[in-house]
Amino acid sequence: MSELKPRKDLLDIESLSLEEIEYVLENAVPFKQLFQRSVKKVPTLRGKTVLNLFYEPSTRTSSSFEVAANRMSADVTNFTVSASSIVKGESLLDTIETLQAMRSDYIVIRHKAAGVPGIVAQHTRASVLNAGDGYHAHPTQALLDAMTFREVYPDFAGRKVAIVGDILHSRVARSTSTLFHKLGIEVGVLGPGSLIPEGRHDFMTRFRTWDEVFDWGPDAVYLLRVQMERQEGQFFPSIAEYHKMYGMNSDRLVRMRELGAYLMHPGPVNRGVEVTDEAMGYEKSLISTQVENGIAVRMAVLHWLKPETQKD
Amino acid sequence: MARLFKNGVIASAGSSDLIEGDVLVGDDGTAERVGPGIEESCVQPDEVVDCTGCALVPGMFDLQVHAREPGGEHKETLATCAAAALNGGVTGMVLMPDTSPPIDTGNLVKSLQDLVSETSPIPMLASGCLTKGREGIELAGFSGMASRGVAMLTDSDRGIPCPDLLRRCMEYAKDFDLLVTSHCDTPALSKAGVVNEGRVSYQLGLPGIPAISQEIAIDRDIRVAQYTGARLHLQQISTANAVQAVACAKEAGTRVTCEVSPHHLLLSEKEVKDYNTSLKLDPPLRLPGDVEALIEGLLNDSIDAIASNHAPHTEFEKSADFASAPFGVTGLETTVLAIYDRFIKEGAFGWDLLIQKYSQAPREIVGQEFHEIEEGQTADFFVFDPKAETEITREYLKTKSPVTPFLGWTFSGEIRETVVG
Amino acid sequence: MSDPTDITTEEILSPAGIEEAVSLLANEVIRRCGEDKVAFVGIYTRGVTLAHRVAEVLKSRGRDYPVGTLDISLYRDDFDNLGTALPRLESSDVPFALDGTRVILFDEVIFTGRTIRAALDGLMDYGRPSKIELAVLIDRGHREIPIQPDYVGRRVETTLNHYVKVRFQEDDGKEGVFLVTEPVAETNE
Repeated sequence: MSELKPRKDLLDIESLSLEEIEYVLENAVPFKQLFQRSVKKVPTLRGKTVLNLFYEPSTRTSSSFEVAANRMSADVTNFTVSASSIVKGESLLDTIETLQAMRSDYIVIRHKAAGVPGIVAQHTRASVLNAGDGYHAHPTQALLDAMTFREVYPDFAGRKVAIVGDILHSRVARSTSTLFHKLGIEVGVLGPGSLIPEGRHDFMTRFRTWDEVFDWGPDAVYLLRVQMERQEGQFFPSIAEYHKMYGMNSDRLVRMRELGAYLMHPGPVNRGVEVTDEAMGYEKSLISTQVENGIAVRMAVLHWLKPETQKD
Repeated sequence: MARLFKNGVIASAGSSDLIEGDVLVGDDGTAERVGPGIEESCVQPDEVVDCTGCALVPGMFDLQVHAREPGGEHKETLATCAAAALNGGVTGMVLMPDTSPPIDTGNLVKSLQDLVSETSPIPMLASGCLTKGREGIELAGFSGMASRGVAMLTDSDRGIPCPDLLRRCMEYAKDFDLLVTSHCDTPALSKAGVVNEGRVSYQLGLPGIPAISQEIAIDRDIRVAQYTGARLHLQQISTANAVQAVACAKEAGTRVTCEVSPHHLLLSEKEVKDYNTSLKLDPPLRLPGDVEALIEGLLNDSIDAIASNHAPHTEFEKSADFASAPFGVTGLETTVLAIYDRFIKEGAFGWDLLIQKYSQAPREIVGQEFHEIEEGQTADFFVFDPKAETEITREYLKTKSPVTPFLGWTFSGEIRETVVG
Repeated sequence: MSDPTDITTEEILSPAGIEEAVSLLANEVIRRCGEDKVAFVGIYTRGVTLAHRVAEVLKSRGRDYPVGTLDISLYRDDFDNLGTALPRLESSDVPFALDGTRVILFDEVIFTGRTIRAALDGLMDYGRPSKIELAVLIDRGHREIPIQPDYVGRRVETTLNHYVKVRFQEDDGKEGVFLVTEPVAETNE
């Protein structure tokens, strides 16, 4: 029926083929249509268990996976490891042993260290879904972003998206830009020089000001969440200055309207930092669509991945 | 037991030519006779070792080895470290003082030396800390350590963050003619970095260590050495600019030497993928252009020595995620094979250069005498079969922590035996 | 997958035969449903085609019944046994209220009955029809669960080694019903 090879884990975007991306994005559409029914649930994963393992707090992503799993009738266990008891790197293998004993079919994992979902995947028969690892990857976010963009632009190839903010510390920027690039969507970046690394992807066109971005003519502007203080130090002088230089304000909204550009954000939004209250009410904001599509995409991913838990 | 190594060719630091010659090692471990055509009937050895097709190569000397004993015996012991060295053709080394406790007093140097003489068949020279506990705050007890004959002063994998402290270290060390080493890192720049800053750090989403973190430290430390007149040795240089800086300093007459690791000569950041912690090195693997510059620096003598930075960590410790896993891999057992396979076999340079850089110069840097394979000297060489090959497996490795980027690789050549008197 | 022109393949219904069976189904619907509020739901892929064909015949006779579509992939009870197949999902589309409606479910073949069971689950997640009936082009027997069709175009005697292949012009570019004797890996329904 299909030439696609079954896949056990979803760890990043780089390793996905275009066929796989199309497969998931196309399957996400029927899942989204289920949300229109009075009964939003399907029995597909009845009897399967999903372990939501979050080493970093994230109510949004964790809930989205939970809703997705629930709507497919899977049993969900949420396991949030508090910051104070963060398991040290050395004992990761011990943790995996424990997980293995729980016999989950799917493990959704978020971890502050890049590469951890990959290590877990190597050592377990469960399908591992990377829900964000360090600055590395957030593949389901990228897939939901692509789904959202394709809904408003069925002719997405050759369109342009400007990603604004902290490219250096953003797994969202890495995964989403990689996926957009694979789909033939042009990617530009705007942000302070201290947050736009030299080692970034070649396909990212660098802009220094909003004027440059608007002259480029983006079809959507993707604002990243910005944190001023990081462990490694400070990357820009103040929130006020960031907002002034790179925030989405009313003047910039005027240009957005002129261009007919959509507004995207992975959430949660820092009002008054990357967006003003006014911009939050922008009629072409796709932010809540992204949340809804997040559930559909995650259902499609759960449906796609093939755990090896049935093997024994 | 007298042994006659027959029909081999002898490599030397002095010439790229391999000279036909047999070696007779006497009961006391001395090379009693060296020369072509030694007749069995004349010398009547207890054993004849047929070395047809093999090279006899002077034993190597490694300037940077973390043997982990005392305190880290789960990673390596002096005994396993010595076994690894002999397995890799290495017959002497300098032990880094980053043990537990750190070697920062004369008494600790003495106790380590005692331990070595009890366990090791080969010289393992103690080095001492520059600062107490390697904490970068107070000077360690230089005079006590000097009287015990430490090979060098080093805080091992920690640089001295304060330039004033470094200056005092050098000024003080100079009077004892102690060699001061630099880890070549600026902690304020390398911070939590774990890979070279650039494309790979971005793509893996890992914090990066910028090249300037090393280059600024090298520039600074050379300046301080020039100012104080102390002898400086730079550990593990890794970038093209670093090679350039050392070359300039040497031209200016500075008393500076430096080393490069075999890993940095063979691998670049491009090899760092799939979060393979066997490629997590300090300093990190750099760009392909840096690798070229390091090879060039080795050839034009900007770089004095090869040092493996043998840094064992257990496979369990290395199985952590990339950011949490410790830096370092083992090197004693793979350096000669890797350099032979990549460079000597390919004709990039001869055995003479490897002997100069991994035997002669390192010994001379720490005041040890280097000998070619000569009559009357203590036997100190290995038998190398270029036609065989060696697969780097856990079974091959004698170290307690078989973590190396070369695990699973097959190198041309085989070290059949290492002979020490 | 074997071709319908294989030596082991036997045509059991010609294009004309299919037309006849479709009109038989249409007649039965008229006879039994009278003036009830009726809606058709076809099971992807060929059940949808069948529903449309019957609806067309009925339209020419002055009865306009809406046709919905149902993809039952998410309701199957053999999710673990799909092997390496990665099912492409279709959008189910039931653009009318089911509550109080007499729904006729269409599928091209009924075999074990499991597909229909899944379809019933799926259908009921869309609403509460007053009645659900089942129409099939071919009933080949060998039920594994107690589900029987209400409208049958043709009954065919088969063994478990048989595979009944329905081909519609719209879906497959050829028309006919074939009895394949060699067992095929894919399930019949």
